[in-house]
Amino acid sequence: MNTLGRLLLWLTDHGYQLLLAGLIVVLCIRNAKSRRKVVRVLLVLGGLVVGAVFLAAAYGKMKPLPGLAWSWPSVKTSLAMFAIQVDSYEILPSAAANAVAHTLPYFELFLGLWLVTCVGQRFSAPLASLAICGFMIAITTAYFRGLKIDCGCGIGPPEEVGPAALLRDGLKFLLPALLVTFGAFWIRRQPGASDSPAVAMASSTTGTD
Amino acid sequence: MEVFTDYQCPSCRNMFEETLRPLIQSDYISSGKVYLVHHDFPLPAHMYGYEAARWVNAAARVGQFQSVEAALYDNQNSWQADGSIEKYVAAAVPSSDFKRIQKLMVGCEYQGPASTKPASLKTGVQPSRGCALDTYIEQDRALGMKIPVQATPTYVISYKGNKLPAGSGFVSWPILKQFFDSLLSQ
Repeated sequence: MNTLGRLLLWLTDHGYQLLLAGLIVVLCIRNAKSRRKVVRVLLVLGGLVVGAVFLAAAYGKMKPLPGLAWSWPSVKTSLAMFAIQVDSYEILPSAAANAVAHTLPYFELFLGLWLVTCVGQRFSAPLASLAICGFMIAITTAYFRGLKIDCGCGIGPPEEVGPAALLRDGLKFLLPALLVTFGAFWIRRQPGASDSPAVAMASSTTGTD
Repeated sequence: MEVFTDYQCPSCRNMFEETLRPLIQSDYISSGKVYLVHHDFPLPAHMYGYEAARWVNAAARVGQFQSVEAALYDNQNSWQADGSIEKYVAAAVPSSDFKRIQKLMVGCEYQGPASTKPASLKTGVQPSRGCALDTYIEQDRALGMKIPVQATPTYVISYKGNKLPAGSGFVSWPILKQFFDSLLSQ
């Protein structure tokens, strides 16, 4: 796996720990201006973490199957394989499962790229949270229907639907997304707020905040 | 495509009726594009699953695997209630073949839940001595343990020497067909 792939996986595995540590720091800061600065830094980090989750998910679903090289046909084959996983949830009719399987990875790719830019986080982060919630609902319904299937998230090794997958998704994926969502709206309400925490950080370092 | 199933498993029945049967009837198998390999993986929770696997293995020895397999899945709701597998096997094959199957089943009769409870997945203990057919079932189970099979149906698709990650649960025929078409076009 290349460096970028390893970085993405590291961020998906440990990003929530960095954000939780940052949240504790924010709560300990009394000075409002300092707190805003730290939150802006965390929003950039959070954007990278949540973006990495979606980028890793998209990569996991699109990467060529063993023995195949990267090519457009091999991506289509990987998406056809993902369609099998979506179908195994037995939630949607076959045609709908197929449609979801062939659009979701591109949506994850788009959302991941959007999140890492840290632009418009008041829109991208809630969207990410909703997407993750939807996925967790699907896992929950599959589990309570007694299905023993692969979660199909594409991140890391295959994980069977169940409490372990829910705990992982809740802690590593949903929590960072919610933190970024709340942070984005919180920072917007602060005096001198800017839409992009990255821009705001750049402004503050040049003394224009 | 290797499929691990339990004849008493409802999901396996759905998979057979809605996916494997169309696959078998299509030209993917007859033309050699796809090799479909069946493996027995009776689950301890299914009282008659092991017994059903014995009957199908016996039928396979006389060349009647497909008809008996289909008969058991088609009538699963009936025989799983009381274990009356034999009559469905008898109805699915010519009488001469049924006699041969019965001979192969000597020593393999189900003796009731107390004495021949199917082997646990952990111990691998033979469920009864003297049933030669159990060898084939246990070979399949051992193969499944290596994957590992944790539920049925579980399927493993291999392509040009590469084994793809095992999948489990139901998959519909149009989705599976699409995957085969995509893979075969590489």
